[in-house]
Amino acid sequence: MSEGTVLFLCRCGTNVADFVDLEAVKAWADKGGLLDRVCIHDFLCAPAGKAFVEETLKETGSRRAVMAACSPKLHQKTFEECAGAAGLNPAQVSMANIREQCAWVTPDKGEATIKTQQLIQAALERSRLHRDLAPQRMECNTDFVVIGGGIAGIEAALQAAEAGRKVTLFEKDISLGGEMIKVEELAPSAECSPCLLAPRLSQVREHANITVVTGAEVTDVIGFFGNFTVTARKKARYVTDDCIGCEACFEPCPVEVQSDFHLGLGKRKAIRNLFPGSVPAAAAIDPQACLRLKGEECTACVDNCPFMALDFEQKDEIVEVHCGAVVVAVGAEVHVPADLPRLSLDGKSDVFTYAEFERLTCSNGPTQAALVKRDGTAPERIAVLHCAGSLCPDGLDYCSGVCCVNAFMVGETVRKQLPEAIVTNIHDRLNLPGLETEAFLRKQLEEGTRKIECHALDKVRVQPQPGGEIRIAIPGQDDLTVDMVVLSTGFVAGARARELSVLLNVEQDSRGFLKSDHPILNKTGSVIDGVSLAGSCLQPSHGSQSITMAQSAVGRALSRLVPGRTIELETMVSRIDPARCSACRMCAATCPYKAIGIDPASGRSLVNEAVCRGCGTCAATCPSGAITAVHFTDEQLIAEVKGVLHERV
Amino acid sequence: MSVFEPDIVAFVCNWCSYGGADSAGGLKLAYPANVRLVRVMCSGRIDPEHVATAFREGADGVMVMGCHPGDCHYRNGNHKALRRFRLFERMLVQMGIAPERFALEWVAAGEGKKFQEVTTAMTERVRPLGPLAIHGNVASKEVSRG
Repeated sequence: MSEGTVLFLCRCGTNVADFVDLEAVKAWADKGGLLDRVCIHDFLCAPAGKAFVEETLKETGSRRAVMAACSPKLHQKTFEECAGAAGLNPAQVSMANIREQCAWVTPDKGEATIKTQQLIQAALERSRLHRDLAPQRMECNTDFVVIGGGIAGIEAALQAAEAGRKVTLFEKDISLGGEMIKVEELAPSAECSPCLLAPRLSQVREHANITVVTGAEVTDVIGFFGNFTVTARKKARYVTDDCIGCEACFEPCPVEVQSDFHLGLGKRKAIRNLFPGSVPAAAAIDPQACLRLKGEECTACVDNCPFMALDFEQKDEIVEVHCGAVVVAVGAEVHVPADLPRLSLDGKSDVFTYAEFERLTCSNGPTQAALVKRDGTAPERIAVLHCAGSLCPDGLDYCSGVCCVNAFMVGETVRKQLPEAIVTNIHDRLNLPGLETEAFLRKQLEEGTRKIECHALDKVRVQPQPGGEIRIAIPGQDDLTVDMVVLSTGFVAGARARELSVLLNVEQDSRGFLKSDHPILNKTGSVIDGVSLAGSCLQPSHGSQSITMAQSAVGRALSRLVPGRTIELETMVSRIDPARCSACRMCAATCPYKAIGIDPASGRSLVNEAVCRGCGTCAATCPSGAITAVHFTDEQLIAEVKGVLHERV
Repeated sequence: MSVFEPDIVAFVCNWCSYGGADSAGGLKLAYPANVRLVRVMCSGRIDPEHVATAFREGADGVMVMGCHPGDCHYRNGNHKALRRFRLFERMLVQMGIAPERFALEWVAAGEGKKFQEVTTAMTERVRPLGPLAIHGNVASKEVSRG
């Protein structure tokens, strides 16, 4: 194979030919006989054109080809293939974009012809410095990691496991279940939430392909589609796997603290599980509360455990998992507008968020589903304030989209146990999408829910009175006096979304929720290939939406992560010359993919080529000139600059 | 006497601004032939050294174009370009190069119209400045490189 180059000029029908004098360009290029051949063709991308390219290159035995044609975004691959058939390395096929960048935008034919020569000159000069790139493929890992054990994460794990994939499901709390396990009935169908969840929880527990890791905080994710390494810190449980969750130790434990699971509305012991049927079933000790772990003498749980399952020597563990795809399903957080005095969410009055109301009406809640006020008596008059802390200048500027239907669920839930109680919803415009919600609203109104429309919800004041009653001042309307207020609050992305966005390099939207790759075309994909998103971490979602998103997220990953299939690796990576590297680590700080580590042998920075995506930012950052951006080297770029500045001849 | 026509080198990122130029082409939005593109994968790849070299090699104006902030294909390479070239703009003066000869622009792949506007504006801005006559640091660097 000769070191020479063939220059192909494409007329593109009349697209180039009418605006550029290609004969003149050919004559210019032929001058000096520096090229193996210069040819003009009508349509290089058509079957006859591709065959012409292949045959010509076989005939000349040239090593390089420069295609003066359209945008490489259209036909770089086309020409790499037909030139490849003649034995050329893909890196030796260059394009000069004389159609989009010249013929179509330069009305003066003389000017266009000169610019065409300059663009070709640039491609020729650059291509002389091209080195062959060996396409690299690697077998991909087809296993999954799911982060977040709520309904979306549970569904994702089950879907992937059903396809025969190994799944590691990380959950930060001591049990799976997420938000859905804290709710009794789902709006608007009033279906029993734990009944929907419980069979799925057992499926996860039983599934041979699923490993559940609870008390786990994901601390690092590196890699790329088909080859991720996920690291998590698994907090010590101080209870071994021998525990079957018999709960014999709960009663004897002398320490009682506020329960997060009950949103502070109830107590729990220092050793506990979250709810009956927790997955895993094993209890866990809260080290902040446990007397023994604080150095005091206490053997209450040890004395009462029939399985000798306590282990106070347990340490946090670092868990490392390799996988091909990551599904993020970390959920959202309930917005708690305690900072707005007008809502009186003070933790003392009978003003509750909707999430708290749900705990008070849930059979696994602090009152075993008995709806009571803080004094233990049942409420008789309940107000539900819509958009509490949402759509107002001092709160969230967005509609969470799931709260209105829940807000009307209050009446349904209350009347089941307190048929005489009066429920009044104070609302502005309602967001009730779906075919069933309008009928649901009508049913609530027929069955007794009252509603007051108010167009200045951010001026409504919730005013607890001495004696326990709560007066609600509504602009332009009579005050409403009740003995319990439920604030229908929205949802926020929460700290976990922020942490994961950093760990995974996934963007957050302006509200902090994790951002889709594309809101229409790829809702559950993230901008990072191989990382999918599901559930409320994308946008506040009902259970049904979360499940659908989880199925979508996993389905897309499954269709591309096929066992036995290999994936192509980036060839245009960065490389570091250890002889020039001073290990200053500026490159590592600038790398968007955490692709630059330290070579243990030399102590110098080293690019993990499987992770590098080839942006070349490190090469521009390196103060020692130690980094080469393959196929975009300084020399190649400068050659191209010289080419486009080639004198007008 | 013929009018002076500046040579302008535009470094463009592959994903947004190169696509913007393709869009301008597809829409047949004419812009001055003075502007010629050099493609890099990310605006973060562009070293001030490349820009200085372009001036030394005869460019009368240099543009760096990347994705809009927040839209970088590589997360944030364009932010790095922004930081680097804000500083570089201040150094240009010391090199004896009028800052008007350099421009940093964000052009998305769909923004053919914007591509046409910024390249036209750049050409019109540089044309009255005349050919670049380099003195100072840039020229001496050439000597030191031997």
